[in-house]
Amino acid sequence: MSAIVLDKVSRWYGNVVAVNDVTMTIGPGITGLLGPNGAGKSTLIAMMGGFLAPSAGTVALDGGHVWKNPEIYRRVGLVPEAEAMYDMVTGAQFLLANARLHGLEDPGAAARRALELVDMVDPSDRAISTYSKGMKQRIKMATALVHDPTVLLLDEPFNGMDPRQRLHLMDLLRRLAAEGRTVLFSSHILEEVEQIADHIEVLVAGRHAASGDYRRIRRLMTERPHQYTIASSDDRRLAAALVAEGAADGVTLTNGTLAIQTSDFGRFVHALPRLARDSGVHLLEVSPADESLESVFAYLVAR
Amino acid sequence: MSGPIVPAVPAQPADVIHDIGFRHYDDVRFGRGWVVRSLLVDTLRGVFGLGRPARSKVMPWILVGILLAPPLVIALVAVLTHADTLPISYTQYLSRLQLPIGLFVAGAAPYAVSRDLRFGVLPLYMSRPMLRTDYVWARFSGLAIAMFLITAGPQTLLFIGALLGKMPLGHNLTGWLGGLAASVFLAILLAAIGLTIAAFTPRRGLGVAAIITTLLVVSGVSFALSGIARMQGEDTWSAVAGAIDPYRLVDGVASWVLGVAPANPELAPNTGAEIAVFVMVYVVIVGVCALLLGRRYRKAGRL
Amino acid sequence: MNPVVMQLTVRGLLGRRRSILLLVLPVVLLGLAWLQRLASHGSPTQSAGLTGNFALGTLLPLMCLLIGTGVIGPEIDDGSIVYLLNKPVPRRSILLAKLLVALATTLVFAVLPVAASAAIAGDRDFTLTAAFGVAALLAGIAYTTIFVALSVLSRNAVIIGLLYALLWEGVLGGYVPGVKDVSVRQWALAPAEHMLGADAAGYGVTSAVTVSVGLTLLAVVTVGAAWLGIGKLKTLRLAAAD
Repeated sequence: MSAIVLDKVSRWYGNVVAVNDVTMTIGPGITGLLGPNGAGKSTLIAMMGGFLAPSAGTVALDGGHVWKNPEIYRRVGLVPEAEAMYDMVTGAQFLLANARLHGLEDPGAAARRALELVDMVDPSDRAISTYSKGMKQRIKMATALVHDPTVLLLDEPFNGMDPRQRLHLMDLLRRLAAEGRTVLFSSHILEEVEQIADHIEVLVAGRHAASGDYRRIRRLMTERPHQYTIASSDDRRLAAALVAEGAADGVTLTNGTLAIQTSDFGRFVHALPRLARDSGVHLLEVSPADESLESVFAYLVAR
Repeated sequence: MSGPIVPAVPAQPADVIHDIGFRHYDDVRFGRGWVVRSLLVDTLRGVFGLGRPARSKVMPWILVGILLAPPLVIALVAVLTHADTLPISYTQYLSRLQLPIGLFVAGAAPYAVSRDLRFGVLPLYMSRPMLRTDYVWARFSGLAIAMFLITAGPQTLLFIGALLGKMPLGHNLTGWLGGLAASVFLAILLAAIGLTIAAFTPRRGLGVAAIITTLLVVSGVSFALSGIARMQGEDTWSAVAGAIDPYRLVDGVASWVLGVAPANPELAPNTGAEIAVFVMVYVVIVGVCALLLGRRYRKAGRL
Repeated sequence: MNPVVMQLTVRGLLGRRRSILLLVLPVVLLGLAWLQRLASHGSPTQSAGLTGNFALGTLLPLMCLLIGTGVIGPEIDDGSIVYLLNKPVPRRSILLAKLLVALATTLVFAVLPVAASAAIAGDRDFTLTAAFGVAALLAGIAYTTIFVALSVLSRNAVIIGLLYALLWEGVLGGYVPGVKDVSVRQWALAPAEHMLGADAAGYGVTSAVTVSVGLTLLAVVTVGAAWLGIGKLKTLRLAAAD
């Protein structure tokens, strides 16, 4: 069980602040680092991986510093975003070299295991220059797994992968996290993060905008009312009941649906079934209109 | 209350494309000629670092300074000592300063073509109304004009110095014009050679090293061969060996045609046959370079 | 001195267009030396001219530049060096391993051919060969280390190296007096001048510094460059995409 702790970390280049006073703890499980392009995700991952020194604040891995400390790489696997690799060697040779650089006892076996994990055993005897983009991504993944690290830092790992490879990788990450590893990956694609992250950290313009489970984050945003769409057997009667009860701030009746705005989520959730039953209205469909990560994100960005 | 109700699907809003201010341009567009001219000007400016970050102005302008300094000194000395003739002729100057001239083309040619090849952006150029040959032609012309400027500039300074020193006008005027003519041919030759080497070495830094190494080695070899031939008493071969060195090639023909003293009197060609060989070699080199460039860009232009 | 790094580096160096130049240049030099031998009947003076000026003065620094920048420059440039840096291997070992490969390559493809060209073109009891061999060895070590360190310190290592080797040592060294004292070539020629003794002037082998000064400065510059390179590698910033 490893944890990365960032404490008031900032990074600036002259006048440009890339990361601004970020404090967070990355623990076991899958954490998604989410943010638009240019938000500082790569910078943050570089600092966590010991490739960049913070201009202010500290980055610690299990209490030890990561900067100028190559020993951390025994526990940390870093999947860089850079596309370039040693083109003239084969996949198997490259993995073997990586395993040997890690000082593993049985580098051949470790390399083979890593290749199996990413499903690249068959093409592994071809030169890397002949690989497609997705294959190179998988080899990159393998180099980060070859030494069985407890911490995995991935910078935009799903870039360039087709849906099948993406599912495979998501599966792999879930398995790794289930074994107790700390997995952090960055992305600007909401669906990817939505599907596997237990926990998200949102970075916007270098600032740490939000952290936690995204549904719970949504609930924390009380200034913006929750929105629900309801289809029922008698919209008008239900709407009237809700307004009378005070469980909804506003109701909108459109052709066949009822849109509800409410700032008191708890009250609404408890009141709705009761009111429906008392009014004799059948509830056919109740769905939140903006519970997706998309709306959470859009809200945070627009703030 | 009522019978089974099928929830009505809310009416979809009508499909529409919004006018967000995108403006069409239906007027006259500039054609190929304009495109080629723009690329030429852009290459010319970029070679001198104009319109680029300060870092890229360093080398070209250092070399320009090195090329212009001696004429200033010579002009000063000529004025002060009331000399009758310049200590160095307009054409000899080109050979004397072959190192800075060579370094200039070594730095300029990779700028012109290597970056586009390295990053594979040629399809972007080809999606404009221009042909592959237009691209090569524009780059070559920009580079050749730049080479002409840095060779003609010092020659002009020499001329001004001669005028200020009240040296015979007619003699210096013809000498200057002859020097300019030699500069034209030298610029074309060096640009062709430099561009070809740069097009085959897109890796950063390799083009620069390859061009200057080629120029220096070829020069060294040609002098060595000339020396060896002279020792054997083979004056013809001694002169012809100069054909492989671009500077001696141009100087040999120019000094014979203009009737001025060559840079290396004992090794210069002085019979019609030798001059014919020189001219042939010039044409062959430029032709081969053009062919190689054509083949190189035939591959690169494809997506 | 990490063997895996060395293997990868050798692979990288030999598998590129760079390696064509590394093979062609010594062959050209040896060919010229042989031709000169035939023409001058093995005159040592002529041989010294070819070896001292062309081989030692032009070819050697250029080849060291190609080799020195070639072992680490391309990897830093395209970012693939991250695969060496994200391992529990001290940065010092990485740089020294690459330096070792570069030095070995310089020895085989540059130093030995330079010494051989003196022997082939004409020598008296191998005195020239020994002298130029020593000078080439010392200069080769210094140049290669400087250029490897330069590749880590700057993205424009090739241009800076060229400006130094050709303009500073070559051109300016002839016009500005003080420049000759700060020149790897001059430092390396000092032992050669000493070894040739009274014949040195006849061969055109002169040095602006004494043997002790030359050797000391070579050592200082070589060790200093290696140290600077290692220091920069520890804090190397990779090209960020964000």
